[in-house]
Amino acid sequence: MRRSLFHAALVLGAALSPAAAAGPGKAVGVPTAPIMVEVYSDYQCPACRVLFEQTLRPLASDYARPGKVYLIHREFPLTGHQYSRPAANLATAAARIGRYEQVAGALYASQEAWSATGKLEESALRALTAAEAAKVRQLARDPSVAAEVEKDVALGTKVPIRQTPTIILTHRLKQYPLTGSVSYPLLRRFIDELLAK
Amino acid sequence: MSFSQSKTARWSLIALRVGLGLMFVYAAWTKLTMPWIQVAMIVEGYQLLPAWAVELVAKTLPPAELVLGLWLIVGKWLPLAASASSAILLVFMVVLVRSFAKGMQIECGCFGAGDPLSAYTLARDGAFLAASLLMTWLAFRQRAQRLARNN
Repeated sequence: MRRSLFHAALVLGAALSPAAAAGPGKAVGVPTAPIMVEVYSDYQCPACRVLFEQTLRPLASDYARPGKVYLIHREFPLTGHQYSRPAANLATAAARIGRYEQVAGALYASQEAWSATGKLEESALRALTAAEAAKVRQLARDPSVAAEVEKDVALGTKVPIRQTPTIILTHRLKQYPLTGSVSYPLLRRFIDELLAK
Repeated sequence: MSFSQSKTARWSLIALRVGLGLMFVYAAWTKLTMPWIQVAMIVEGYQLLPAWAVELVAKTLPPAELVLGLWLIVGKWLPLAASASSAILLVFMVVLVRSFAKGMQIECGCFGAGDPLSAYTLARDGAFLAASLLMTWLAFRQRAQRLARNN
């Protein structure tokens, strides 16, 4: 009973999270795509790194850019992770100048290093030009960026997200919560089945 | 064994087999109402099986749980049904403890989606295993007493 109620809450909560709420530069594809994939992640979570590198990257190129899937990245920094929130601020700032994927990718690629040292900016902004890096640094201190991260967290809390990464896949108003580092072959098969319906 | 002890044991066995039977039916229902690929994603998360086995488990585990649950509720050949229940719960427990010890951030999947692996899920499934082992012991003891009476 408890599981059913939780699942119903998860589905209802996700249904109430509109695609329009995607942060600027945090979505790939078109909002009218038949499938919406919302990903709640934490940059310090190892499973999120695996999901981003092995599943979301091919998903973006094979399905989101061709318009079959609308992929939305949402921030869900966990309280137990010391540097997750500043990392989310940096990624959100990078999204504002259209460099989300580069900065998120750099954060995940060097996750172990900055999780130990806290030297986030060095790792995250490596993929950017000096001018872009300066802009991102400046934007990351902007209160509106922190507010955008907080908005994602509030949205995720309402769903409710219980662990990262969590994907909320929506097709014809039906919600499918998927947690953990879902592999690309299975996700692709699932999406193909839904698209064929 | 006194009459009252025997009666307590009989009613305990009925409560255990019906309770665990309903638990298995519910576990099956939560998975059968999901697309099988969603179940496969949960099974895959444990990183124990090759792709073909993940698909096989995702497709066969929910109906197997349903059959086992109904079998326990009906109560026919109870020592065998109880042994099957204990065996399957023991396998689940070993897999859950291994994954928890490795710090894996995955779904338990015991009752469908939205059930992250945690100390709570370990305690809950441990309680089910303990109940199933008690049921198995009571079922074999009841059968032994029946055979002794018949001889």
